[in-house]
Amino acid sequence: MSESQQDTRWQSQNPNPMAPRPSTFKAPDVLNYLCADCGAENGIKSGENIRCKECGHRVLYKPRTYRIVQFEAR
Amino acid sequence: MPPRSNDDPRRHVQILPERVGNVSGNDFPGHYPGEDHSWNLKRFKENLIVSLQRLTPSTLEFDLVGVDASIANALRRVLIAEVPTVAIEDVYVWNNTSIMQDEVLCHRLGLVPLKIDPREMIFRENPNAGALDTDTVVFQLRVKCDRQPGTQGETDPKRKYWDSDVYTGMLEWEPAGAQKTKWKRKEPKPVNPDILLCKLRPGQLIDLTCFARKGTGADHAKFSPVATASYRLLPHIIIRSPIPLEHQQKFVQSFPPGVIGIEKDKRGQPQCVVKNSRRDTVSREVLRHAEFEDKVQLTRIRDHFIFNIESVGQYRPEDLVPEAIKILLNKISAVEAGLDKLFDPEV
Repeated sequence: MSESQQDTRWQSQNPNPMAPRPSTFKAPDVLNYLCADCGAENGIKSGENIRCKECGHRVLYKPRTYRIVQFEAR
Repeated sequence: MPPRSNDDPRRHVQILPERVGNVSGNDFPGHYPGEDHSWNLKRFKENLIVSLQRLTPSTLEFDLVGVDASIANALRRVLIAEVPTVAIEDVYVWNNTSIMQDEVLCHRLGLVPLKIDPREMIFRENPNAGALDTDTVVFQLRVKCDRQPGTQGETDPKRKYWDSDVYTGMLEWEPAGAQKTKWKRKEPKPVNPDILLCKLRPGQLIDLTCFARKGTGADHAKFSPVATASYRLLPHIIIRSPIPLEHQQKFVQSFPPGVIGIEKDKRGQPQCVVKNSRRDTVSREVLRHAEFEDKVQLTRIRDHFIFNIESVGQYRPEDLVPEAIKILLNKISAVEAGLDKLFDPEV
């Protein structure tokens, strides 16, 4: 293995960019819930049926909010 | 005074079949009538030997001869707990949807050794004040796992997904203030880029900011610059009387390879001789056999310390001992200043 290959082996390989960190902590209008069965994202507004649009499964998970939490590395 | 010999029984710690004898030294004033054992700088200098035995990019073995065990032990303890290094101390988790809990991931991050020269950073004075470019180094870790297109039927997660493994090499240094010019061509980074921090599956992501600070091993083991820092006493084997020809092979095999050799004496007779007692593990195997009773004496030299130090990577191994000695000297100066104050008639 060449030297340059060795250097990048442990670096990030994913070509898709990550979404930027939110600058404000405003609650979003539409939350993308995840289907417990098929894993599809479901944009559900209040008052709508709690049901996956892809497979009809009735269990949806709320994703973790993008907020900062401080921890001590101990 | 004649040069001290390893055969001087006063320097010997006896290794006996069931116990260790003559453990403490008696070379203090008033023990031996008519001998001056008061501390003397000139004599100390004559007896002190420091010699490097082995040096690799990560390990160091050296001999320290002619000091008391308290000094050798102080050096070892300073190496482990007082020589400062830089490690991740605060982690700000923006998001972490991996299976690893935030607390566990942050703890793992703290234990990652960082290649930052601690001598170029200061201790953080006030934990409530803001971070300064002189006391904090910032790292960003932003990783997201995605499915690789066109990998149907693939079973290896490394080929099926992108970034299914999160390595320390993905920690990215974010220069702050004057750091960019200060650390040009020696950018802060983890010592090992190939430490696995966490595993991800498609859709999971880790996004966090790490603040690395200077600290000592006394506060947390993650700051310790040594993987091991230990010493042992030099083994010294005395063959009291010649080993009979028929037992010589057995005698050689009672020790690790290279410790005992067989050489021809002046009359051309093969004799067992001590080749390299440093390689002895002091297993005392030889003392188990009746035929070697009173023929051999196992000892260790009480003031000959063989140090073994393995650096984690923040310091070069040859820099660790001078740093430890510097810290030890500072401690001595602090005690000296305190004593001066205590006995000052003016106060």
